[in-house]
Amino acid sequence: MAKIDLSNISHTYNPSDSNPTYALNPFSMTWENGKRYAILGPSGCGKTTMLNIVSGLVKPSKGKILFDEKDVTNLITEERNIAQVFQFPVIYNTMTVYDNLAFPLKCRDFSKEKIEERVKSVSDTLRLSSFLNLPARKLTADQKQLISLGRGLVREDVAGVLMDEPLTVIDPDLKFRLRRNLKEINEQYKTTLVYVTHDQNEAMTFADNIIVMDQGEIVQVGLPKDLFERPKTTFVGYFIGSPAMNIFESEVSSEYSVKINNVEIKTNSNLSKIKDKNVKLGIRSEFINVTEKEGQNTIKASLTRVEDFGNFKLLTANMGDFVIKSKVDRELPISNGDINLYIPPEKCCVYDKEKLI
Amino acid sequence: MHKIYTFLKYTFITLWTVFIVAPFLWAISTSFKDFQSVNSKVTYIPWLDFEPTLEGWRVLVKSPARGGVDIVEPYFNSIFVTCTASLISIILGTLAAYALSRFTFKAGFVRNNDITFFFISQRIMPPIVLSIPFFIFLSTIGLLDSLLGLVVVYIVLLMPIAVWIMVDFFNRVPKELDETALIDGCNPYQAFYKVVLPNSIPGLIVAGMFCIIFGWIDFFFAFILTFTEVQLLPVKVVALNSSITPWWSLSASALISVAPLIIVAFVVERYLSKGNLSGALK
Repeated sequence: MAKIDLSNISHTYNPSDSNPTYALNPFSMTWENGKRYAILGPSGCGKTTMLNIVSGLVKPSKGKILFDEKDVTNLITEERNIAQVFQFPVIYNTMTVYDNLAFPLKCRDFSKEKIEERVKSVSDTLRLSSFLNLPARKLTADQKQLISLGRGLVREDVAGVLMDEPLTVIDPDLKFRLRRNLKEINEQYKTTLVYVTHDQNEAMTFADNIIVMDQGEIVQVGLPKDLFERPKTTFVGYFIGSPAMNIFESEVSSEYSVKINNVEIKTNSNLSKIKDKNVKLGIRSEFINVTEKEGQNTIKASLTRVEDFGNFKLLTANMGDFVIKSKVDRELPISNGDINLYIPPEKCCVYDKEKLI
Repeated sequence: MHKIYTFLKYTFITLWTVFIVAPFLWAISTSFKDFQSVNSKVTYIPWLDFEPTLEGWRVLVKSPARGGVDIVEPYFNSIFVTCTASLISIILGTLAAYALSRFTFKAGFVRNNDITFFFISQRIMPPIVLSIPFFIFLSTIGLLDSLLGLVVVYIVLLMPIAVWIMVDFFNRVPKELDETALIDGCNPYQAFYKVVLPNSIPGLIVAGMFCIIFGWIDFFFAFILTFTEVQLLPVKVVALNSSITPWWSLSASALISVAPLIIVAFVVERYLSKGNLSGALK
């Protein structure tokens, strides 16, 4: 349980090169005590490197890490009192399930009673109680991953629990329950949880705060709602949400409006300070509505595809070279041919050089 | 088609078994024969074809003064040298292999793989190349014709095997296992002996088996580095041969020199088939 500060951290795996490539570009961030964070990003964006830096498995090329204001940059993993769970189950094959769960406590010389109590509590939460005396290697892959998770949760006093896509090997039903369990554990013990994932749904449902990363860069930190409604870069717009955000090449036409394919779209962003006239307009497919009447902010497009997802319909329409996707209620009657789509100005995001204005 | 396949399979296995077992049967029956039964007509079955005798075996334990050849002392010498050298090789080799598998070494153009190859290359070289250097080395430090000298030489011979097998083994133990141990609160040494080593028992057993086999059967160095004080079993067995070949005692000594390896093989096989070694990873 600690506040974790990352200050001006950057990391490269080839520091001796004259032109090193950075796995993590310089950044600073604070993880508040007792909160849940999700680090979200595509493979190879530096998520795991960031976790390894916090746990001490990797020493950052530059910068400092503070746990509750105490500098731990030069401390080895063992001295940091942190828990980390990897993507694939790592268990001690030669030990029983009980010994596996007890190992982190034994290493730190907890009393026998305390160990027993903690192991019992964790194994109850993870439903491992009936396996405690079995050799750990006899369990199935997802049970093994539960052991890994249990070892991460068994110490109450850890600075934080870092999880690197821990639920990849676990089946969906159990996944859902475990995520809820993790939330409960977090609320009960006020453990700082950091959860790395590339699955946006997992991140959205789990975390208070989501950190979106791309190519070694932190592109946005925020609440799920912010990421969804106001993505700070076009990358976040593409990466979060299903389908991805509609993004159109457009031109600034007046102080508050842009032109797509000669149709004027009003926005709520002040565009007067933009030097380059070419900007991008982003709008979530959820916010685009089908209307009967033509008018302001309404574009005419020809419908090319209707996909029924059961709980909603996804319309794909073309306007010139532009492809527009719109999520609509599945009960809505859709006629083939041309449709009118209304783009609400308050939901428009304008991007200048891929950054939100 | 299936029947032909089964037939061929069993034929082959039978032939192979005969090929393996026949020399043993031959040696066992010969070891109970006397001069007469070996050198006259071909005989197979004891009591019917020939009268069995324990003379071939007795000679082996009798002292030379009473007309025997006494292989008991060389036998224990061999056990001592093989076990000591294997144990030390395994300990040093395992540590070296762990370092080579987990840390990155750089010295000029030399990298981890080059160091591993350097170890293995010791076995590529024909042993005769080393005979003179070893001889001079041992005579300089005064260990020629001694058990300790042999142990030193055998460590040189066996450690590459241990390093080679263990590097490969450790490379297949996921790095996350060590990292998890560190996170759980072990220091790097504890992570090695509390977590990585118990997980590596299969590798250790295989490496140990190879060391014991190669140590036990070595004739060359045992022959050139010892004279009268100390003798190892292979040398003693070969020395049994004289103008009249004593087939009976040669067979008996061959059998008892193979015995320890057969026992090792059986124990390891039992251990393997019980599943104690399988599925150690992932």
